[in-house]
Amino acid sequence: MVMTGNHGRLIFFGLVLLVGIISIFAFNGSGTKGIEERFSSALGVSPGDEEHGSGSDPGFSLEGNPPLYTIILVLLVGVCWVMYRKFGT
Amino acid sequence: MAHIHLEDGSFSPLFVLLWWGTALALIAIALYLLRSARKPDQKRITIAAFCAAAAFAVFQVSIPIAGGVHLNLTPLIGILAGPIFGLLIVFITNILSAAIGHGGWGLVGANTLVNFSEVVVAWGIFHVLRNLVPDLFSRAGIATLIGLMVGNCVMIGIVMVSGIQGVNQSPEQVLFGLSIIAAINMGVAIIEALMTGLVVAYIGKMRPDLLEGR
Repeated sequence: MVMTGNHGRLIFFGLVLLVGIISIFAFNGSGTKGIEERFSSALGVSPGDEEHGSGSDPGFSLEGNPPLYTIILVLLVGVCWVMYRKFGT
Repeated sequence: MAHIHLEDGSFSPLFVLLWWGTALALIAIALYLLRSARKPDQKRITIAAFCAAAAFAVFQVSIPIAGGVHLNLTPLIGILAGPIFGLLIVFITNILSAAIGHGGWGLVGANTLVNFSEVVVAWGIFHVLRNLVPDLFSRAGIATLIGLMVGNCVMIGIVMVSGIQGVNQSPEQVLFGLSIIAAINMGVAIIEALMTGLVVAYIGKMRPDLLEGR
């Protein structure tokens, strides 16, 4: 049996709806917390200070050390460039 | 998506070694399989490099949804690079993440296993549904949702088996708390599923050769 694109999308968006409803209930039950705070409260440990980007930040933020992030990302982009030049796609 | 957000010292040394050992054993198998291949798949190597860079870049960005979450791109990695390269990519991403202070070094092994489960399940579902669901967007979206759901289950399983040092919560309380985290994670998995579906559909339209055999 082969499903058409519409059938596939029906299944996908059905799953999305189901998962979305469960997720909204879970979120309403637990309140606004960052992922680290959620982990800490779920496990009964005190939240650590090694990670950033908690729920108190109003916008997008970076977890970990930003200068190191930049350096590693630049190196990775360099590796990608070398790979692309050498092997192409 | 699923990621054990705990500091070093949360797992006992025995379990740190167990998860690291399991991850390294899988990596050894992956490297053996790659080295024993008659001809290196150069196209896949380039895709793997791009996936590693993209995964590292996205993994560190906290998105202000549900108090702050991040994407992993693990299902996309599985679909584009396959499970063998996928394992190496998630290991490298976890190592680099620990290096910049996102996650503990002792948890790299466990997190690699969690992310690998997402890679391998998404790859498998995408592959299995090839004849059943020809629409790339839907197939990639379904594979992503199921892959991330399995990843959350593996994450819960690893934490439950390992136990957390120095906590007084009962296993039932821990399981309940982690289930809530998994349910919220799955809400964000919807975003990842939509994004993965769009990317795979776009690649399928512009460069179908990159999805050959997938």
